[in-house]
Amino acid sequence: MNRFELDSILKKARWPEPPEAFWEEFPQQVARRFNRKRAENRPLRRSWFPRLAWGVATALCVLIAFAIGHWRGRVEMEVIPPKDVLADAKIVHETLAMFPNRVRAIIEDERGMSLVLSDNDNVPASEALYIRICNGKQCASVVTFSGQEIQIAGQKVTVLSDAQGGIILEGTGFVWSSGGGNYAEKNLKIEARNLGEVL
Amino acid sequence: MARMAPPDELNRIQSSLAGDTEVLAALVKEHQRMVLAVTYRMTGSLADAEDLAQEAFLRAFRQLNSFRAESKFSTWLCQIAVNLSLNWRAREKQRGDVHSKWVENLISETDARDPLPDELSRRVQQALNRLPPKQRAAIVLTVYEERSHAEAAKLLNCTEATISWRVFAARQKLKRFLKGVSHEPL
Repeated sequence: MNRFELDSILKKARWPEPPEAFWEEFPQQVARRFNRKRAENRPLRRSWFPRLAWGVATALCVLIAFAIGHWRGRVEMEVIPPKDVLADAKIVHETLAMFPNRVRAIIEDERGMSLVLSDNDNVPASEALYIRICNGKQCASVVTFSGQEIQIAGQKVTVLSDAQGGIILEGTGFVWSSGGGNYAEKNLKIEARNLGEVL
Repeated sequence: MARMAPPDELNRIQSSLAGDTEVLAALVKEHQRMVLAVTYRMTGSLADAEDLAQEAFLRAFRQLNSFRAESKFSTWLCQIAVNLSLNWRAREKQRGDVHSKWVENLISETDARDPLPDELSRRVQQALNRLPPKQRAAIVLTVYEERSHAEAAKLLNCTEATISWRVFAARQKLKRFLKGVSHEPL
């Protein structure tokens, strides 16, 4: 069998063609399916407006949330007391080393840090004491020594320490002791500790 | 030589794209026999051929935007139909066990569901069913669709040499499968 004979056989072969009714119906079937698919896709194409609206609404929500968060952050930052720099023993140590026996107190309040120095180097070398007093929202920290009289948080306070390391604060109308005795006013919040070991 | 889409055909395609269902149906009517013949020769099953033919038209219309007038619409359609059929064969092969077993089943199914008009047609379709899909596609395109090797290569996305080899290999097998069949007119 040569090539032409084979082609002749192949081309003579018929296939089971569907009846005429099928050929009439087939184009309609295809058109219907195509239109159905197109109709299914159409709402998706035209749905840009709701999607845009949702997008804008989401963006607005994010913006408002960010603005509120930012505003609250600012407000909270304003009410937060200044960072307690005096809790950092290194800073205290360096400051005391700069003015040997002259530092009566290092005070940190809403105005920042300030140093109370003696005119002479007559401040006795003793253990440093850390005190934090809050009078309502007004807070201040101080590093000082026993026997010093300081003005802190609107209060004039005399600081004393006893032989056991306890701290006593005596102000106008109040006495406070780290040992538990507390005659301070209700809105006065006091915290004190001995920095001797840290320094 | 590339066959360009005639201007009238381009106009009708544009109308179809614009949503003219009648023009779309007319395009289907014009090409349906070619597409169904290709898918039948490729699958050997009339039911599957009908599904694939519908799918070929739908895919063609969905992708009308990407149709380039470098070729005729029928050529583009034929390419889609052949590729769909090749994918169908690959899927069917995966479902079954081995190719030969699948072919045996297909032959018996073909005989039962799609009675061919005569003994020669039945023998030829059985022989085509036994060819590997790509060789069968090469025969369908070059013998039944009378495409040149260059056109078939373009449609099947391979080189002309590959098509020539597939046609050659397919012919050798078909001669063997169809031994004893007379080529004389009936």
